[in-house]
Amino acid sequence: MLQDLWHNLDYAASVVLFCIGLYTVITKSNLIKKFMGLNIMETSVFAFIVALGVVDGGDAPIMGAGAEAPFINPLPQALILTGIVVAVSTTALALSLIIRIWKQTGTIEADELRGME
Amino acid sequence: MITWPPLLALLIAVPMTSAVLTPAIARGSARRAFWWALAVMSVASIIAAMLIIRVSHEGPFSYVVGGWVAPYGIELRFDEFSAAIAIICLLGTLAIIFSKEYVTHAIAEPRIPYYYTLLLLNLMAMIGFTVTGDLFNLFVFMEILSLSGYALVAVSGERIAEMAAFKYLVMGAVSSLLVLFSIGLLYALTGSLNMADVAERLDGAAAAPLAVAFACITLGFMVKSAVFPLHVWLPDAHAIAPSPISAVLSGLVVKVGIIGMLRVYQIAYSSGAVDMTGLNTVLMWLGAISIVMGAFFAVFQDDIKLMLAYSTISNIGYIVMGLGLASTYGVIGASVHVFNHALIKATLFLGAGAIIHQTGKRTLSDLAGVGRAMPFTVAAISIGAISIVGIPPTAGFLCKWYIALGAMQAGRPFFAFALVFGALFIFIYYIRMVNAFYFQKPKDPSILEVHEAPATMLGPTLLLAALCLVMGVFGRLPLSFIEPAVNRLLAPLGGG
Amino acid sequence: MDVVDARAALAPAVSLVCAALVFAAADHTFWRRFFSISAALFKLGIVMSMLPGALKGVVYTFELVEFTPGVALAFRADALGMFFSVVSSTLWLLTTIYAIGYMEREPNRRRFFGFFALCVSTTVGVAFAENLLTMFLFYESLTICTYPLVIHEETPEAMKAGRKYLAYTLTAGAFVLLGSIWTYQLAGTMTLSQPGILSIESGRTTLTALFACLIAGFGVKAAIMPLHGWLPSAMVAPTPVSALLHAVAVVKVGAFGILRTIYNVFGVALLKELGVCDWLAALAAFTILAASVIAIFQDNFKRRLAFSTVSQLSYIVLGAALLTPLAATAAIVHIANQAFAKITMFFVAGAIQRTTGKTTIHELAGIGYRMPYTMGAFTVAALSFIGVPLFAGFVTKWYLSLGALEADAWWYVVIMLASSLLNAAYWLPVIYTAFFKPPPGTNVEVHEARWTLLVPTLACAVYVIFLGSTASVPGMPLSLAQAAVTFVFGM
Repeated sequence: MLQDLWHNLDYAASVVLFCIGLYTVITKSNLIKKFMGLNIMETSVFAFIVALGVVDGGDAPIMGAGAEAPFINPLPQALILTGIVVAVSTTALALSLIIRIWKQTGTIEADELRGME
Repeated sequence: MITWPPLLALLIAVPMTSAVLTPAIARGSARRAFWWALAVMSVASIIAAMLIIRVSHEGPFSYVVGGWVAPYGIELRFDEFSAAIAIICLLGTLAIIFSKEYVTHAIAEPRIPYYYTLLLLNLMAMIGFTVTGDLFNLFVFMEILSLSGYALVAVSGERIAEMAAFKYLVMGAVSSLLVLFSIGLLYALTGSLNMADVAERLDGAAAAPLAVAFACITLGFMVKSAVFPLHVWLPDAHAIAPSPISAVLSGLVVKVGIIGMLRVYQIAYSSGAVDMTGLNTVLMWLGAISIVMGAFFAVFQDDIKLMLAYSTISNIGYIVMGLGLASTYGVIGASVHVFNHALIKATLFLGAGAIIHQTGKRTLSDLAGVGRAMPFTVAAISIGAISIVGIPPTAGFLCKWYIALGAMQAGRPFFAFALVFGALFIFIYYIRMVNAFYFQKPKDPSILEVHEAPATMLGPTLLLAALCLVMGVFGRLPLSFIEPAVNRLLAPLGGG
Repeated sequence: MDVVDARAALAPAVSLVCAALVFAAADHTFWRRFFSISAALFKLGIVMSMLPGALKGVVYTFELVEFTPGVALAFRADALGMFFSVVSSTLWLLTTIYAIGYMEREPNRRRFFGFFALCVSTTVGVAFAENLLTMFLFYESLTICTYPLVIHEETPEAMKAGRKYLAYTLTAGAFVLLGSIWTYQLAGTMTLSQPGILSIESGRTTLTALFACLIAGFGVKAAIMPLHGWLPSAMVAPTPVSALLHAVAVVKVGAFGILRTIYNVFGVALLKELGVCDWLAALAAFTILAASVIAIFQDNFKRRLAFSTVSQLSYIVLGAALLTPLAATAAIVHIANQAFAKITMFFVAGAIQRTTGKTTIHELAGIGYRMPYTMGAFTVAALSFIGVPLFAGFVTKWYLSLGALEADAWWYVVIMLASSLLNAAYWLPVIYTAFFKPPPGTNVEVHEARWTLLVPTLACAVYVIFLGSTASVPGMPLSLAQAAVTFVFGM
């Protein structure tokens, strides 16, 4: 059991990160903190997917002189590049929303905002 | 045999590019932006119509992007479920027409082109989501449409609009991550992202991670489609958004979760490696609870748009329940309700939007007696209300009938019971609404001097209301259209 | 013999058009009256024109929309449906005239007459429904259309009664829908054109549950105890509404639904095998007696009428539940007999209230001197309920007793006799109070209700005698009922 965990430490770490992120999103009242929790979750999923492609002792799959197998699977990295772009746009949108909330109401604490609705 | 042009690729490429070009074309003019958006939607609609004709002749077909053969390249796949693009194009076009007058009051003119950009992007991403055959592609389209959706909720500038949008964003982003996580897991298990290919390779995969993957992806889509108790983001977001956006969000965007679930089911059923019984049971129960709770909350609302938003939760409940029943009738009913509910809910939201636009009021008590001032709009809303309750001969009836039959077919009469009594609840609050509009004495007599909405708003609303009736009378057409797809889907289960 | 004929759909449609015209006529009293009365006449004409055919066994059918095979909106005027629609169309005409007189000074007349017409449209829709779905649709619409009539006065009491009414009847409608879906699932069809569509292969438990579901759905409107709670409360409605809807349309639609369930959905043979009808018959017998006992203690005229209705309706249910041809004849013919007698009484109650303002029975002392014709009509109706020969009620009781003997259930004959005694116990005191107690004050001159109230009342009373004394003449309701029974029992 413990052995399995050690072998899959990278996966376990991303699950732990995911949970930390989710905990932050749910419990924090400050909108920025909430959003940071979301970023942690994003990172954990990205890390998980990138870790999928890792091959023990593998090399970057750049063809040319001196390239020798085994290679790391490049597909997850390509995917996560797209994922990061998405995450950045989400962050930008969320921050701009937070700014507008702050301008309108003068607070970014969720429990105070609830009272204003 | 006819050779068809690569319409599927055009359907994604042309409108998506055009959507992004909108601000450049419009150069700050609301009028130019409107006509451009309309033109883009018309092109997309024509392509969609041709694709649907093709699928009804030939059955499902695919297109490989850039000549990379599946499973290596990205595959676009068009099957009967993808025919949902018909309603996306229809509602999108009508929402744009409706927006012409509507947004001039809500948004400053230089920003209007961005509004159309977001709306077009949203619609196009939805089309992409529906026709893609690749899991990661699915995620990307989902993100484009979610992001544009969050932004669209915020554009109305109402006091709590940003807050509603933020709430929507947080829930939406968490659900997207769940989906992405599952896609990664599926990739780890199968080494493929192509849906059909994944299904084939699932057979040898370990059971536990597989179960986690399917549970997480379904959970993610359940948040997107606002199944109780994951619905908390929906009411505010849908009620605060400008009405044409509410129509698109409530009619179409929540259905993305449903279509996603259908795709997941396609993988799970055809591979046979995953036992979906447990998940199906959960979906059935959550569906039944959504129906009742959505109706229960709606009964106590005074704001008409909030009422409609809660009604969406009930109707998603119907669809999810139909899917969970996993019987032929149930799934057919659920799939067609995706289409019909979009039609009905758009009628209601556009009608409500027209009323709010003309009167500036949005609560039932303030709007008492508005039926005398805006007879056509209120008539359209009444037709929508009758349809959504499911009274024949309107669009809502046959789907609900099929879902109830599906419950009987699956040997679970309790769910037919829940469906019927949910409909009863829904009936009660729509009666309240129609009663207030027509029969109650106006609280403020000035409401009787309000004029009927302008043609660009009234036209789409009336057209949709008429379609609600037409789809009721010819309700059998979509049912028989979707039937082969459902039979194919359920065939591995042994006849359903 | 089935004939495709648009008249089967036209009959419900006439009142629908009439309702639209009434709403469109806004506050023009003349046009409203003109539309209401001419639609009533027109509809009666349509229904009557189908009567000779129906007596010969011709069935008029018309399919409006077919959604998927077996799921359609379709109409079918068979003998049973014709019987019900003849009764309701005749009474609509009389009640419309009465309502014009009664409602003369009430507010919201447009809404009243509009929905009034809609109610009759839906009633005939139920009568002519070809399948359970169509029937459900009209059954539910009837609930919706009667609600504005029940709350017409918009007093807090009326609103409360309205809510109670909706809660009971909408729930009932849901049960009917559930039953329809279930039937369709089991039988693959929902048609009401066969003498039974279900078969024992579906399993006894399932069939019993389905039977309970449908009977609960229709039983609420048929006011079988303990589902009768809404009926006395709904008496706050204006009298023409109580008369037409709560003595005729709404409650009879429930009873009619039970007849359809027993004869056309399950079929006599299947029910005999299942044995569930014994329970239904026992429940009906209980309702007959219990409601009568409660009625004795009611002082409010309309409330006493309401409980009498509860009791009388269960005659129909009992007749149907006995599953013999003669009992079935009684059940069907009682739709007409009870309708005419009860509506006479409601007209009398309304006429007295409008003319003298009195609503309780102890106030009626000597009213027979002031309103002799009105009270004469009342006496006729009362005698009919008691079951005196030559009056309509006797025909029912006679056939019902014969039917009970046919089913080897003599104790129901005893219940018939007990019910007659109870009827006498609560109607004869009214007649005694009206004719034999001295009127208060000295000023006893004849002061009848105005003619729009009096003429329909007398017409109904005459009809009660007519139904009772000429029952065996061919072409009268009894022969139509017998035609329906012949079909159902396959004789």
